[in-house]
Amino acid sequence: MTGRSVTYLLSISWQIQNIAVAAVVVLMVCLLTFMLMYMLGQSLQERKKHKWRMISDMLINKAIFYEERDEIEDQILESVLEAAKKLTGNKHFRKFITGELISAKKNISGASSDSLKQFYLQLGLEQYALRNLDSRQWYVKAQAIQELTIMDTDEFIDQLQAFTDDKNEYVRMEAQAAMVQFKGFEGLDFLDAITYPLSNWQQIKLLQLLSARPPSNIGMDKWFSSQNPTVVIFALKLARNYHRFELHDAIASCLDHDDADVRLEAIRCLNEIYTDETSDHLIAHFLREGLRNQVAMAKVMQTVGTKRDELFLFDLLTYDSDELKLHAARALVNASKDGLISLEKFSKQSEEAIARILMHIKAEKVA
Amino acid sequence: MSWQTFILHLFTYGILLYSIILLACYLLIGTFSIMETRSYLHKNSFTDYRVLASSTEAPSMSILAPAYNEGPTIIENVRSLLSLHYHNLEVIIINDGSKDDSLERLIEAYSLYKADFFVNQRLKTKPVRGVYRSSNPVYRKLIVVDKENGGKADALNVGVNIARSDYFVCIDVDCVLEQDALLKLAKPFLESTRQRVIAAGGVVRIANSCEIEGGRLVKVNLPKQLLPRIQTLEYIRAFLLSRMAWTKLNGLLLISGAFGAFDREIVIDCGGYNPKTVGEDMELVVRMRRHMEELGEPYKVAFIPDPLCWTEAPSTYRILGRQRNRWTRGTIETLRSHKKMFFNPSYGILGMLSYPYWFFFEFLAPIIEFFGILGLIYYCFEYAVNWQAVSIMIGVICLGILYSIFAILMEVLTYHQYKQKKEILHLVLAAILEPFVFHPFVVWSAVAGNFDLMRKNNSWGEMTRQGFTANKKN
Repeated sequence: MTGRSVTYLLSISWQIQNIAVAAVVVLMVCLLTFMLMYMLGQSLQERKKHKWRMISDMLINKAIFYEERDEIEDQILESVLEAAKKLTGNKHFRKFITGELISAKKNISGASSDSLKQFYLQLGLEQYALRNLDSRQWYVKAQAIQELTIMDTDEFIDQLQAFTDDKNEYVRMEAQAAMVQFKGFEGLDFLDAITYPLSNWQQIKLLQLLSARPPSNIGMDKWFSSQNPTVVIFALKLARNYHRFELHDAIASCLDHDDADVRLEAIRCLNEIYTDETSDHLIAHFLREGLRNQVAMAKVMQTVGTKRDELFLFDLLTYDSDELKLHAARALVNASKDGLISLEKFSKQSEEAIARILMHIKAEKVA
Repeated sequence: MSWQTFILHLFTYGILLYSIILLACYLLIGTFSIMETRSYLHKNSFTDYRVLASSTEAPSMSILAPAYNEGPTIIENVRSLLSLHYHNLEVIIINDGSKDDSLERLIEAYSLYKADFFVNQRLKTKPVRGVYRSSNPVYRKLIVVDKENGGKADALNVGVNIARSDYFVCIDVDCVLEQDALLKLAKPFLESTRQRVIAAGGVVRIANSCEIEGGRLVKVNLPKQLLPRIQTLEYIRAFLLSRMAWTKLNGLLLISGAFGAFDREIVIDCGGYNPKTVGEDMELVVRMRRHMEELGEPYKVAFIPDPLCWTEAPSTYRILGRQRNRWTRGTIETLRSHKKMFFNPSYGILGMLSYPYWFFFEFLAPIIEFFGILGLIYYCFEYAVNWQAVSIMIGVICLGILYSIFAILMEVLTYHQYKQKKEILHLVLAAILEPFVFHPFVVWSAVAGNFDLMRKNNSWGEMTRQGFTANKKN
């Protein structure tokens, strides 16, 4: 490379540098202008919302005090609804009024809640939600499902059912919640067919929705043999929460499942649903398990263990894991009236950790 | 071309190349951050956390809060932790051999008694002197552990040994948490089905000048002092841009020691916190990731952009310098302990992207900057002003300011914690001032950290805090 070309390259790069610095400054000004415009837009929107809030407050008020309505009140309501309907073409208003109705609906029930649904339908907001079900954006779709569910529009249940095995987890989660919200335990029939896993979050949500329903004797043992391990786990949680003692053997058979998480849930389930044979099942499967599930089994033995399990429990006290020893010691104490005395005798002949465990258990008893 | 000119050009264009790569990284970070934050906000828009708050099915969580000489504020701080919204919660305060009366104050305030408690020593720690429980059923969630002084990492390891939950949250005892912080932090562990979430971090924000009442944040204000204000901007940039972007790539290496949740089983399998480093928070995350990579199990480190934890930032250069010095030493120690992963394809993104990024742009950046400026000053005095190098420097400063303004914009578009236009203007001014009054000092502290590490100075560096009392609403 000649000296001239080096000089040329240097002068070019010098120019590029200057242009780059200028570009950065221009970009900075652009970002600041955008930020300013956005903040101004937000304050304008806030002012509009202030006016819209008068409409939403009036609607919610009328829904809550529906019994106090007379002819004049009804006329006022009609005109408010008319005014609101004209505004529903504005997407910002739609979003605002839907949000307000939804948050009110979440907090009230009975006839007031029905009135809110009526207002929602009278404003034609459900048509926008139904249109959003066809959106390509998952969050628009999921939000539409949630909106229709909260507003109790069970007339669209068939359209929502189709989304219970959607490829997007948030869409299917909302659709599954919708089924349970509308149909209670019957709504769980989507469990027969779902191919995607049911997250722990979703399981908690479904159990929460079901807790508002009266207990049902729905046949859930079919889900114990599902190919989807998360469905089996959910079914086990259902059996545990609803004390389905008749399912004990089916639950115990899950101890042979291939999935360690299913086995863990089955172990936990046996803490609530147990018979005289439960400890035998646990002991028979104990050696096949890893430490996590073994600890869970030892915990369950505190509930189901009896004097005849003492030998097994003493054996656990010789394992390496202190956590296992602690739970086994608790189980021993609970297994029979003289459990504590047996443990005291054992601690005198064994390592120091057992003596400390004994002290710990004694302190628990006092507390 | 003389050799001096050749060296000058090499130096100038070397710095230019480094700056261009750094700029490309910033562009990518900005893009990934937008993607991840949008996705999170969409998901969050229809999440009802009340479901978890009242559910008995929610996983149990243990809060681990190490305390060292926190006497004046400990009662209020513990009260704040006990009031958090979460069903299955235990709060474990670890008194790390405090020389003040922290323990006595706790015993008196919470009716504590020394319990016979079997500590399962799965992680090796300094001896535990006693475990205290409350005789008052109102405080049944509280466990106070008194132990010999061993540093923050050792105290956290004691907490891990004592915790009974599947997940634990480590926090600085003087931090103020949002009431729903644990609900939000628990969600990533519950919603993932394909990957095991091994840790989850949350955004830490600066609480200086904010109004705190009864251990709760009641009003967010921008810090009145310049140093904490610039750190506010720095935290927005780090948490809202950088960590979100790395989360998108599943390459996050750091969860702040001030607030993060961990899978207890994995932490124990990895050997817990390393008491030999001053960067125990980063080191643990790197070790956990390395462990999962070596096991070949799918995993994820999650991050939540919601402002969940508020902390007091240093307001003097002296304390700031100690903090940054320690952060630098922690980074170097972590990178050194895991150098096996450097550009090692068997560690995937961790080895090929995250580690090299931290090496080149977190560890090396201050050193390059420091010697670059020294070199430039030397050349100007010895020969002539090198306008090209000065122009590059101005360009880099402008880019830094642009990046900060972008971070402020992201804050405005997402969480908008600082509502007044005046506060946003002050943040923009802080962005302009930062390269002149803050950044050079941070670079110097980082270089000093390198020297200290070479001299084997591994002190923590005392962090004197003013406390939130001054900001309390009357």
